[in-house]
Amino acid sequence: MIKRNQPVLLERVNKMRQATNVGEYQEYQGFSGLLKAIEMEKEAILDELDLAHLRGRGGAAFPLGKKWRHLYGAKGDTKYIVCNADEGEPGTFKDKALLKHDPLSVIEGMVIAGYLFSAKAGYIYMRGEYLGIQKIFQEALDNAEKAGFLGENILGIPGFNYNITIISGAGAYVCGENSALLNSIEGKTGRPRVKPPHLADVGLYLQPTLVNNVESFAGIPVILREGGQAYRELGTEDGGGTKLICLSGHIKNRGLYEVNLGTSLQDILYSEEYGGGSSTGRPLKFIHFGGQSGPIGAVQHLEDCIYSYEGLWDKNLSIGSGAIVVMDDQVSIVDYLVQVAAFFAHESCGKCTPCRLGTTRILELLTKFNNQTAVVGDLERLEKMLMHVTNLSACGLGQSVANPMKSGLAYFPEEFEAGIREAVAPVKGGLW
Amino acid sequence: MSSLSLAEKEAIILANDSDPQRILNMLIAIQYGSEEGYIDEETAQLVGDHLHLSQARVYEILSFYAILKTEPQARYVLKICNSTPCLFTGGAMLAEVLETILEVPADEPTPDGLFMYHSIPCIGACDQGPVIKIKDTVFADLTEAKVYQLIDDLQRGCYQEL
Ligand code: SF4
Ligand code: FES
Repeated sequence: MIKRNQPVLLERVNKMRQATNVGEYQEYQGFSGLLKAIEMEKEAILDELDLAHLRGRGGAAFPLGKKWRHLYGAKGDTKYIVCNADEGEPGTFKDKALLKHDPLSVIEGMVIAGYLFSAKAGYIYMRGEYLGIQKIFQEALDNAEKAGFLGENILGIPGFNYNITIISGAGAYVCGENSALLNSIEGKTGRPRVKPPHLADVGLYLQPTLVNNVESFAGIPVILREGGQAYRELGTEDGGGTKLICLSGHIKNRGLYEVNLGTSLQDILYSEEYGGGSSTGRPLKFIHFGGQSGPIGAVQHLEDCIYSYEGLWDKNLSIGSGAIVVMDDQVSIVDYLVQVAAFFAHESCGKCTPCRLGTTRILELLTKFNNQTAVVGDLERLEKMLMHVTNLSACGLGQSVANPMKSGLAYFPEEFEAGIREAVAPVKGGLW
Repeated sequence: MSSLSLAEKEAIILANDSDPQRILNMLIAIQYGSEEGYIDEETAQLVGDHLHLSQARVYEILSFYAILKTEPQARYVLKICNSTPCLFTGGAMLAEVLETILEVPADEPTPDGLFMYHSIPCIGACDQGPVIKIKDTVFADLTEAKVYQLIDDLQRGCYQEL
């Protein structure tokens, strides 16, 4: 039985001496999720996933059960399983911990998917910055194969043939976008595809494809082992399970934690068990949730905030990747956003004009505010630009650039206004 | 460290089954294995031939992905994280300190070809910032003094494997 406040995903991470050792993995209930799955009707596996209400942990928070059901119903004899391990969201390092310290849990999740969808090939696309971890993961794959959990006739089941290949990324944030990632696996440049069609119908090599995040895959064995209901009870109404969170910035105990969805944000920030409060002795000012593309919240407005999907949605925030970047009151929001904007201007793949040029214009405008050389009308220009980039960009990168900017503006308008040099006559026209 | 021989490069390509899907795996392995830290024209051609890809396709890939380089790099390329979690927790000093010690601006090799530094986005060590990364090795929780020490150690050849 799993209980609340018990590490579920990090249990082995903290205990295993040799992460790639299959025997040791099994001592901690490893592969028992897979063993359960092969005893079940395939429809029943899908039912458990629905019951568990696991939302995708990569950032989009789409119900995993629905995604898997869609692929299950997709037409095609060849289906591919892809694990997105391109973790490139600044402030996020959770997948790294699983890949390095509990790779077999990710493999088990991917094998369960392979079984359910009768897939022959799985891929894990791992960021180029994690080269050492790629070696560890390969060792885990080799060990799993030797133990009969990968390869031909897995677990003695005739025709259950499935392998996993590691594909390295090479430093492109946009490859975290699922369709860009598939292009990159195909040996092309990682620019996103135009959608629809849905990747579940037309994905890798134009075949139906499942793409999930590392943390999502690691959760699958737990769901099958413990049952969907038990997993759901670890979380809240709108999302089951635990969540890996990454605390960084001006917080005393920076690092990786596992919390039940539904934990109070104040606990996460201030209790000694988690963040332990400010690291600088200055009051905390704002929090950037879920990576660079996530929204920003003002600490003083978040006193009653519950860290769960609905708890954050209520505050116009979101969990995203699980990054929680905390800044103290000496950081100017405009200065902070300039750096965020620079990130997007750098990482835009350039395929669509609104994103390619828009991210640059946003960076220029924010820099003006930061240098206190903005003029009357620039605020409106900025807002309009944000709207255009959101609405006209083709992929998630461009569409979410405005999230941090808009929330920063909403909470700290006075810091933007202070960047406007009143002495200059307003520029006429010129609204994009 | 010396540069890879033709046979060693071919061995890397074969270890990846000459599989176009794993072109990035090979290019990174070859680049990190070479002293100059880049993919030269001859190597791009070699990879293209083995994978049945045109030179243009290989260069399209080389120019798209940030880790891959088409120009010779310094012996030690120091990568600084410039994403917000690191930048606002002491990381801003790194560029300044490196400029002071090495006396060159970012992206420019020192005259002896030993060092070069530049900023890159998050490398997944956000809870240990400020960080500098050299190839696959991360130097974490840096202070000004530790940066001086690191440069000194590198100069004295303490990190031959990098
Ligand atoms: S929105 Fe940006 S990153 Fe996405 S496809 Fe367009 S240019 Fe590329
Ligand atoms: S933000 Fe610097 S390593 Fe992640």
